[in-house]
Amino acid sequence: MTSILAVIATDASRIKRSSLESLSRAREIARAHDARLDCLVMDSSPEQHIGALAAFGVDRVLTVTSDLFVDALNPPVVAALVAATAESDPSVVVFASTEAVKDVLGAVAIRLGAAAIPDVAAFDYENGRVSALRPVMAAKKLARTESAAGRVLVSVRSGSYNAQPAAEPGAATHVPLAFEFEASQVRQEMREVVRSGGDAVDLAEASVVVSAGRGVKDESGRELVAALASELNAAIGATRAVVETGLYPATAQIGQTGKVVSPQLYFALGISGAIQHVAGMANSNVIVAVNKDADAPIFGYATYGVVGDLFKVVPALIEQIRAAKTA
Amino acid sequence: MVFYVCIKQVPDVSASVDMGRMVLNAYDASAVEECLVLREKHGGEVHLVSVGPDGASETIRKALAMGADEATHIQVEDLSVLDSGAIARILAEFFGTVSYDVIACGKQAQDTDAGLTGGMLATLLDLPFATNAVGLDIDGGLVVTRQGDGGREVIHLPTPCLVTCSNDMNDPRIPSLKGIMAAKRKKIAVASPDKANLESDTSVTGFEPVPARPPGEILDGEPEEVAAELARRLKDEAKVL
Repeated sequence: MTSILAVIATDASRIKRSSLESLSRAREIARAHDARLDCLVMDSSPEQHIGALAAFGVDRVLTVTSDLFVDALNPPVVAALVAATAESDPSVVVFASTEAVKDVLGAVAIRLGAAAIPDVAAFDYENGRVSALRPVMAAKKLARTESAAGRVLVSVRSGSYNAQPAAEPGAATHVPLAFEFEASQVRQEMREVVRSGGDAVDLAEASVVVSAGRGVKDESGRELVAALASELNAAIGATRAVVETGLYPATAQIGQTGKVVSPQLYFALGISGAIQHVAGMANSNVIVAVNKDADAPIFGYATYGVVGDLFKVVPALIEQIRAAKTA
Repeated sequence: MVFYVCIKQVPDVSASVDMGRMVLNAYDASAVEECLVLREKHGGEVHLVSVGPDGASETIRKALAMGADEATHIQVEDLSVLDSGAIARILAEFFGTVSYDVIACGKQAQDTDAGLTGGMLATLLDLPFATNAVGLDIDGGLVVTRQGDGGREVIHLPTPCLVTCSNDMNDPRIPSLKGIMAAKRKKIAVASPDKANLESDTSVTGFEPVPARPPGEILDGEPEEVAAELARRLKDEAKVL
């Protein structure tokens, strides 16, 4: 292995935490194999991130500068990834598993003739092959997956590794890549982007998540959830059921179809614990469940379970958490 | 419009996966449903194509009973040894022999949760594509509403194109008795893939149980007492406050 390439996702002026997690793992593997650690930033102004990436021990920062990456359609993203891979010539390309990465991973694998192992909980590189553990069957099992020899694309579930700056900063040599992309190559048109959430805390990045299920019922329940989230500076999540009723936006959905989160602290409020939801939160460090139904499957995952009415428990909890924080 | 929906027979993950009950992948069911709705609104045909062993014909028949026009069953002995790339190449070989406007796939299979095949197939066929659709419409091409990381995106794709569908876009219909009877007379063409397309770049070498969470504790009492106890545990025991 001569190099490993970590693809960095940015959000406004920040690097996404999930990208720093997968970058940290990429660095461990690069160091173990005495390989160069490259990273790629595709952004309208990628240079701003070079300092932060140096702290994570990166040897080179490849950048592709284009406004096409804002509300991106997939063709320019695929083209930039192909161009960066040609420059870096890596044995492994590491991504954080975001929706934007899921959108392009298969296409990039075909364009590069590379193997792809998506959504891993852990991975390693030995003897020219990647071995990984992937949650499958709605996260009921872990599949041991191995690549054949050759280039491999790996996307990593958020929370699988810690984002850890390097002991020694890297050189972070800036390598701007030429990127020529004709509008005619896009072949599709973005007509509208409807953003949800505004300036709310990003779910995949949050260290505390407060999630709502059917038991939250209505507007007054939603206000309670928001009040607890505000007290904890938490992101707000939801089950598919309450997204379908329109109580929560689809961007809040956690589970097999929605987002996968693994915060330090997860509150499941009025959530029964269907396997499709659990698949998106079971790796949370501490899980608190509040549910009226003592037989709800969520209690099988909870660190602390409270059998009771969330409309009574949550207001009391907000008071107690406020007191505990100031005590 | 001529729609082709790629469907997969998978274990029922909502039950115990070791029971071996096989069903139509939920995401594919949503893709079938959405194409049927578009056919009802705009006319056209809905074809199904599935790569799978003999036993997959039962699932194909069920999807036909939802109202699709006809199906092709590309037979392979063992689906579990084929990775997404192999499936995409097998499907690309098939799509070289038919004409279509829209290829719809589920965004992932509920057993492997890989989500690669759609983008791979589109790239092999050099088609524009969009993933994770939560709504489809036709307007001089395909209008895809997709769920992105930060919100919903509305993308217009010229045909031919490929789209992968979320199960959040609709509730797939339950086949009626009439649909089930009609499906018995519908044609399922059988095909075999080129052996060169059966090579995989990745393989699953085994399964491990998900590490069990440490056993939890149920806190009992009146709401005020429980809340106080919980806040104390979160602060002093779990150290997350």
